[in-house]
Amino acid sequence: MTTALSPGTLGIDAAPSAPGPIPFSRLVRVEWAKATDTRAARWLLALVAVSTAGIMLVPVLAPTSFDQTYASYLRVAALGLSILLPVVAILMFTGEWSQRGVMTTFTQEPRRIRVVNAKLAVSLVLGGAGAVFGGLVTVAGLGLAAASGRALEANPSVGTSTSYLLYVLLNVLAAAALGALLQNSAAAVAASFALPAAFALLGTASTLVSEWIDMSTPWNWVLENDWGGHVPQILVSVLFWVAVPLAAGVVRTIRRDVS
Amino acid sequence: MITTTALTKSYKQTPVVRDVSLRCEPGTITGFLGANGAGKSTTLKMIVGLVRPDRGTAAIDGRPFVELPNPTRVVGMLLDASAMHSGRSGRATLTIAARLAGVHTRRVEYLLDLVGLADAAEKRVGTYSLGMRQRLGIAQALVGEPQALILDEPANGLDPEGIAWMRTLLRDFADHGGTVLLSSHLLHEVQATADHLVVISAGAVVAAGRLDDLLTSTTILVRSPDPGALAAALQAARIDYVAGPGEALTVDVSGGRVTTEVLAGVARDNHVLLTELRPSETNGLEQLFFSLTAAKAAPAQEAAA
Repeated sequence: MTTALSPGTLGIDAAPSAPGPIPFSRLVRVEWAKATDTRAARWLLALVAVSTAGIMLVPVLAPTSFDQTYASYLRVAALGLSILLPVVAILMFTGEWSQRGVMTTFTQEPRRIRVVNAKLAVSLVLGGAGAVFGGLVTVAGLGLAAASGRALEANPSVGTSTSYLLYVLLNVLAAAALGALLQNSAAAVAASFALPAAFALLGTASTLVSEWIDMSTPWNWVLENDWGGHVPQILVSVLFWVAVPLAAGVVRTIRRDVS
Repeated sequence: MITTTALTKSYKQTPVVRDVSLRCEPGTITGFLGANGAGKSTTLKMIVGLVRPDRGTAAIDGRPFVELPNPTRVVGMLLDASAMHSGRSGRATLTIAARLAGVHTRRVEYLLDLVGLADAAEKRVGTYSLGMRQRLGIAQALVGEPQALILDEPANGLDPEGIAWMRTLLRDFADHGGTVLLSSHLLHEVQATADHLVVISAGAVVAAGRLDDLLTSTTILVRSPDPGALAAALQAARIDYVAGPGEALTVDVSGGRVTTEVLAGVARDNHVLLTELRPSETNGLEQLFFSLTAAKAAPAQEAAA
C-alpha cells in the first residue's frame, strides 16, 4: 500500500486537458472485450461452436432425411447457430443490469444510446463471425459426406449465402432487442425460447399469425432465399421481432433509473 | 466543483430526496451524513445521471454530468463496490475502465499498486472480500485522473488500517485542489475525514456548513461552591441557565450575547466564587447528528447553517 501521493500521480495538478468525447470505435472495442473476456462468455461461445458442429452431423449421418446440397447443409448450420448465438447477444444487453455494471458503463458514457449502439454493433460482428464459422462447419460437413462416397450437389451461390447471413443476423438482432427491452438475463433468455414457440403455436390456428409474425415461416423464407411475394410478410415479421422491441428497449434503457 | 440545486426525487409518491442543494468546493472534503435510507445514495446517483431527478439540477464544474464529453476524466466515483462483474479480474476491470476513459493502461498497474491489490490483480472480483472490492472501486474512481471524487460509503468493509489509508488519500487529493464528496452513515468517519458537512435526514438537508462551526459548543458550564448564589446572580443578570450537571449550572450561549467573560463578570460583581467556567463538553457531531435526525427533517432552509 502506498500512501505518499505526488500530485502528478493523482492527476489533479496537471492542467485539465478537457478530453474529447469517447470515440464510437472505442465504445465498440470495449463492448467487444466485455462480451468475450469472462469465463462464462467463453464457455458460451464454445458451446455455440460445439452445438453448431454437432448439429451438422445430422445431415451427414442421416442422408436420407436431408437434401445433400450446399444450401441444405447451410440451413442446418443456420439452425444450429440460432439456438445459442442469440443467447450471447441477450447476455450482452442484460448482463450489465444483472451484475449492475451499468453503474460503471453509464457513468463512463452517460449518452446511453451510444452504449446501446455499440452493443448492437458488437452483436452484428458476433453474428457475422458466427455465420462465417457456420459456413466453415458446412464445408466440413459436406467434405465428410463426400468422403463417404456420397453424391453431392455443391451449389453455392451468392444469394444462398447472403440469405443465410441475413437469417443469422436477424436472429441475433431479435435476441439483442429482447435483451435491451427486458434487461433481465433469465427473463430474456426464457422469452427468447418461449415467445417464438408460442407464436408458432398461434400460427397453427391462424395463417395471419403464421405468415406475418411467427418466425418459423417468414424467417424461413429469408433462410431459403425465397423472397418472391413474401417481402411484405418478412418486413412485418422483422418489425415485430426486431424493430419494435429494439425501439422500446432503447427508450427503456435511456429512461431507466439505475438504483 | 460539485453543485446541486433543489434536487428532488420521489419513488411511487414517496419522497426520497427533497430540495437538496449542495456546494462542494475544490480543495475540500464534504461529508454527506445521514442514516441509512436518508436519501444519500439517490442524491449521489442524481448528480451522476444514473437517476433522473423529478426537479432540480446538478452540475460538475458548471455542466450537467450527462453533458461531460468523457465524464470519468472529470469526476471519479465509487457508488457501489458490489456493482462489478464478478467474473472479471481486478486488473481486467480497471483495464476496461481505463480503455474507455482513454487513459494509458500503465495507470492500471500504478493504481493496483496504490490500493494494495497488485498481488490479487489476477484474481476474479467474485473472490474478493468487500474491503478488496472497495479498494478496487477506489482505484476505478481514480482511473480517469479526475479533479473530483464522489464516493458512497467508501469506508464500508475496510479494516481500520484501510480506513486510515483512505483518509490520507482523500486528504491528499483535496490538498492538491481536488473536490471530494463522500457519504457516510458513520459519524466518527465523517468527523475524521471531512472538513465540510451536510447532514441529511428523511431526504432533506437539516444542517450544512464547516465542520468546525457545526461542532462549536453552544453551552457553557459554570460551577460555584455556592450554586444558590450563582443562580441568583444569573437571574439578576437575566441570563438563562439550567441546573446540572451535578451542582454546576449550564448556560446557553448560542445567542452570542453571553460569553465566558460576561459570566465571569457577573460572578465578580456578585462576589460569587467560581471554581469552573468552560464550554460544555459535547459529543460533537454525535449530539448534533442525533438532535437533527431526531427532529424528523425540519424544513431545510430553517435548519441549514
